[in-house]
Formats: sequence, structure tokens, C-alpha cells
Amino acid sequence: MKISVPISFIRSAALAAFLFVAPCVAQSHAEQTAAAPAKTASFLTVQDETGRSVRIPLPVRRIVSLAPSMTESIYALGMDNLLVGDTDYCDYPPAAMTKHKVGGAINPSLEEIAALKPDVVLLTKGLNRLETVQSLERLGIAAYATDPHTIDEIRSSVRRLAEVLGNPAAGDALNNKLLQQESSLQRTLRNIPLTRALFVVWTEPLISVGKHTFIADALLQAGAISIVESTQDWPQMSLEEMVRLQPDVLVFASSHSEAVTRDMEALAKRPGWSELNAVKQRKFAVVSDAVNRPAPRLLAAVEDLARQLHPEAFADKVASYKLAALRDRN
Amino acid sequence: MRPLTIGRLFLQCAILAAILFCVMVLALKFGAIHVSLYGLGRDLLRVFLGKSTEISSEYSLIVLNIRLPRILLGAIVGASLSVAGTSFQALLRNPLADPYVLGVSSGAALGAILALLIEPHLALTPEIASVFTPLGGFLGATVAIAAVYFLGRRDGRIDSNTLLLGGVITASLLYAVIILLLTVLPSSNVRGMAYWLMGELSNLPSKPLAWVLRAGFLAATAVIYTTASDLNLLLSGEKEAMHLGVDVHRVRLIVYIAASALTGIAVAVSGSIGYVGLLVPHVMRMIFGSDHRILIPASAFGGAIAVVIADTIARTIAAPADLPVGAITAIAGAPLFIYLLRRRLA
Repeated sequence: MKISVPISFIRSAALAAFLFVAPCVAQSHAEQTAAAPAKTASFLTVQDETGRSVRIPLPVRRIVSLAPSMTESIYALGMDNLLVGDTDYCDYPPAAMTKHKVGGAINPSLEEIAALKPDVVLLTKGLNRLETVQSLERLGIAAYATDPHTIDEIRSSVRRLAEVLGNPAAGDALNNKLLQQESSLQRTLRNIPLTRALFVVWTEPLISVGKHTFIADALLQAGAISIVESTQDWPQMSLEEMVRLQPDVLVFASSHSEAVTRDMEALAKRPGWSELNAVKQRKFAVVSDAVNRPAPRLLAAVEDLARQLHPEAFADKVASYKLAALRDRN
Repeated sequence: MRPLTIGRLFLQCAILAAILFCVMVLALKFGAIHVSLYGLGRDLLRVFLGKSTEISSEYSLIVLNIRLPRILLGAIVGASLSVAGTSFQALLRNPLADPYVLGVSSGAALGAILALLIEPHLALTPEIASVFTPLGGFLGATVAIAAVYFLGRRDGRIDSNTLLLGGVITASLLYAVIILLLTVLPSSNVRGMAYWLMGELSNLPSKPLAWVLRAGFLAATAVIYTTASDLNLLLSGEKEAMHLGVDVHRVRLIVYIAASALTGIAVAVSGSIGYVGLLVPHVMRMIFGSDHRILIPASAFGGAIAVVIADTIARTIAAPADLPVGAITAIAGAPLFIYLLRRRLA
């Protein structure tokens, strides 16, 4: 299903034509002509995940990412040699920090982006602004946006991205790897009852995640269900309601588990929080902050969380492996 | 004070225009991407000579397609806010009157947020969708100013103090509604709103919107300028003006609508850039006196200069990140306003 919009097509085609013809006219500037992209033979018209139709020049040689999750996806696909720019917040893998920075995800510099002459700019609806997409469109720069809400959608989204960028093989390989990871985790957790969890984004005030977020889905995949029923993405919750619902466990996203242990002690002394059984019994899990980004790395974070929440399931697995190994030896 | 002659009017406007031109050329030079003054001069000359095809693609894309439209946008927004401020101050004979104090900006912000929420449910073509949010902002501004106008009416007449208070109350009420909406609603559509509320020029307006903006500014300013002499007489008091033959009700209505349109247009494309409509008219009054025949064009130039300078700072100070220009105008404007206030008291 492709929506065709003649006017914008003609306009972007004209702009694109101008962008590619102009350097050839300006022959006197040798250095700029050298830096200009080569003439593009063809275009791929695709619909991105927000339903916009995007015209991407082929082959894609230069990519700018405006979201940390998109940067991670590009690295996971092994296409980072095409990545020419990313945002100040793109810090994983560490090599992403050395890429040319174009500002923040909310307030990137259009000038910096344009100067990098990208074939396509990658965005995600969950983080970037519509206005940025529109501004890029007006400059004739292809802007492709994703919008995954579940782990499955993250997988299919990355696969589709690889296809759009002209590397379907890498997408299939990554998809299969993630699918394996996912199904093996599901097998392990098959008979495990779901833990009722409260995902804590912020403690003062208490901010959690809504049920339509990929984080809620990540919890589910890790054998936990978020007790927050909100349709908002980042709802502010009342502590009274949490005391009534009594989560089995609190889940924090952090790269420093010692800091969370300290926070937990502080929470135990705070009114309201101290009424939560999970706080009284210090029942909490710390998941890598990769859980905050809809990127392939999320699955590893999910598995890590599952191990913390349901050690018994993994213990069985280890035990049965050992048993099998013993049997083999005998 | 010397009487205003056509010659003096043109001379002073020419000086201000020259300053604005220099500021704009400098603003074109500075930015995230380095551009040499020589290359800039050469390319500008080519544009003026109609030989823009000779310009390298990099310059034409960054300087002419990104930086120049943004500077022009800033100039028009600044001029609009400043002329609106001058008009409101003359109309209400109150130096504190300003589009933002009167609740127009909050109305525009609310309108834009509502438009953003409604937009996904309407099947709009991208062309219309790109004008939809600014249109919501414009309608919101108009509705807010109409509401404040009726709040300010007492026995069929406008009472300046009631109107200002009504504006302040309306502004705070609308802000509360905005905060409520931002907290309660699913957030993916309203993400940039906090940024937009601070006032920003970083997004390129679509072509049709840019034309609406320019035409609207010229028309509304021209309409206000036709009442310049009446505004001068209004300064001495409503009754006095009426005795001197000014149709006060007509002037009020015309200027009120035109100034609201100016504010609505500016807020719709740039969010809440504060202090420009309040401060620039003050400064211009100090330099050029309070004759509106010179004050209105001077405010237009002054507002344009102020916003272009503030936006250049916003673009460069934390490059490559883009700061909201409203934060810059507020940081520079608030202390300046207090200084002017104290100086006047002393």
C-alpha cells in the first residue's frame, strides 16, 4: 500500500535534481565537486513506519542517524561504515561517539546534517520531532522514520531498515539471530508465572511506562507484567495506587547497580515507598539502560532481566545441561 | 522635539535598514558550518546578479536554503512581535502591554497543541498538514485575544487595567491547560512542544506558510501604520483624542485585530519568543521619541535586528545543538527591562 503524492514528489524530485546538477555546473570549485555525491541512477520509494512515503536514492552511501536506537541498529547491521553523522546522545557502541555530531535528537542542526550530504536520515517517532522530518523533506533530504512498539516490531523494523538501505542479507541475519535469542528465552520461561513488576523511570515523582511502550513488552518477554495500565508513554503514577496494587518487584534501568542499591535504601525510608512490600523486602532488579532504546541490544537486556526475575528457570536449564553433560560422560 | 519630515523619516528608516542588512549578513556568516565572509560576499553578489547557478551546492544548500530562510523568518517574526507590542502599548496607554502579557501566546500554543492532536485523525495531504499546526496556533491566538478583549470591556468600553489583568489571568489559565494536556495525553505528538513553547526558529516553514507570513506582516503593519497619527493623539487620552476628531472605537478595533494577526502569525511559526514585543518598542521610543509615524517602522526594524541577533547566538553558542531563541531573548531581555524600569524611576 503506497500513498502517492504527486506535488511533493515533483518538488523533491526537482530539489534532488537541483542538488545533483548544481555541483556539476559549479565545475570551477574542484574541492566541492569532489565532495559532492556522485550522480544517482535510481530511487527507491518506500513507506516508512509512520506512513510517510520516502524517496531514497540508491545505492545508499551516506547515512545520518538522529536517534541512539537507530545508531545502534546501524552498528548491529554492520553498516556503520556508511554512518557519517549521529547525535550527541549516540554513545553505544563506543565507536558511535567518534562519529560526526549533529546536535541532539530534539534540536539537531539542519546545517550540520545538510553539510554531511546524507542519502538518508534515520529517525524514530518515539524520540524525534515531526518538525525535523518536515524540515528535512523541504530540503530534499530523505528522512526515514521507524516506530516500533514491541520486541517483535523492533526485529521487523531493523530487518526492513536493512532492506531499505540495500542490505537485506544483513537484516535477515540479524533478524534470525534475534529470533533465536527470543524463542530460546521464551522456551526457558514457558511455564513460569508472570511477576507483577513496577518499572521505575523516575522516583520523584514516580514515573513509569505505559502499556503500549516497547519497555512494557520487554518486561513481558522477561516474564514480568507491568502493573501500570496507562495508555500514556511515560505516565506519572500515584504512590497510593502502587501501594494498593503492591508490585512483586521494582525494575530500574541503570548502568550502575550499586547506585540503585543505595537508592533502594533511601526509598525504604521515604513515606509511601516504605509501604511497598517490594521495597520492604528489597526486591528489585536492575536492567541495563539498553532497555530504554528500541534497538537490537534490547533483547540481551531482556534476557539479563529474566535471569534476575526468574533465576529458578535458568537454574533448571543449567542443571539439566549439567545432567546431560554427566550422562554423556557416563 | 523636531517635527517629523518625510526626509527625516526616510533617513532614519534607511539607517535602521542598513543596520538590519549588516546584522543579517553577519548572521549568514555565523553558524554551525563555517562560511568565509569573502565567499559569502561573492555568492550574494551572484544571487543579486541572477547567476545563482554558479554557486557551489554546499553554499546554496546551507547558506541559501537553510540559514537565509531562517534569518528572514527571524526578522519577520521579530518585526511582527515588535510592531504588535508598539500597537498594544499605544492602544492601552500602558507600557506593560505586550502580546504575551495579553495571553495571545498561550492561546496560540494551546491552538497548536490541539491541532497536533487532531491532525493524525484527519486524512490530510502533507502540504496541508504542514500548515495545520501553525494554523491552529493562529486560530488559538485570535480566540484568546477576542476572549481577553471581551473580558476587558466594561459598560461597552475597554478598560486598560481590566484588559491587562484579564490577559494575565487568561495567560495563566491557558498555560495550566497546556501543562495538563502535556501530562495527560499520549506524548509522542507533543514531544517538541516544550521546546516550541520556549520559542524557536529551527524548523523551516513550508513555502505557502512563508508567503502567508510575509504578506500578513506587510498587510497588518500597513493597516496599523494608517492609524499612526490617531495613535499619537490617543497618547494624550481617549477623551482628548475623541475631541480632536479621532474615531477611537474604529481605531481600537482596527489596531487590535491587526496586532493580534501579527502576533498570531509570529507565534504560530516560532512559539513564544518573549520580551521582543515588550522591550524593543521601549528602546525605540527612547531613541526616536513616541511619534508613531516613526516609531512603528523603527520598531519593525528594531524587532527584526533583535531577533536575528538572538537567533544567531542561539544557533552558534552550543553548536551543533540548536538552542531555543526564546531562552536567549528572555535571558537578555529580563535584566534589560529591569534596568530600563529602574532608570525611568530614578
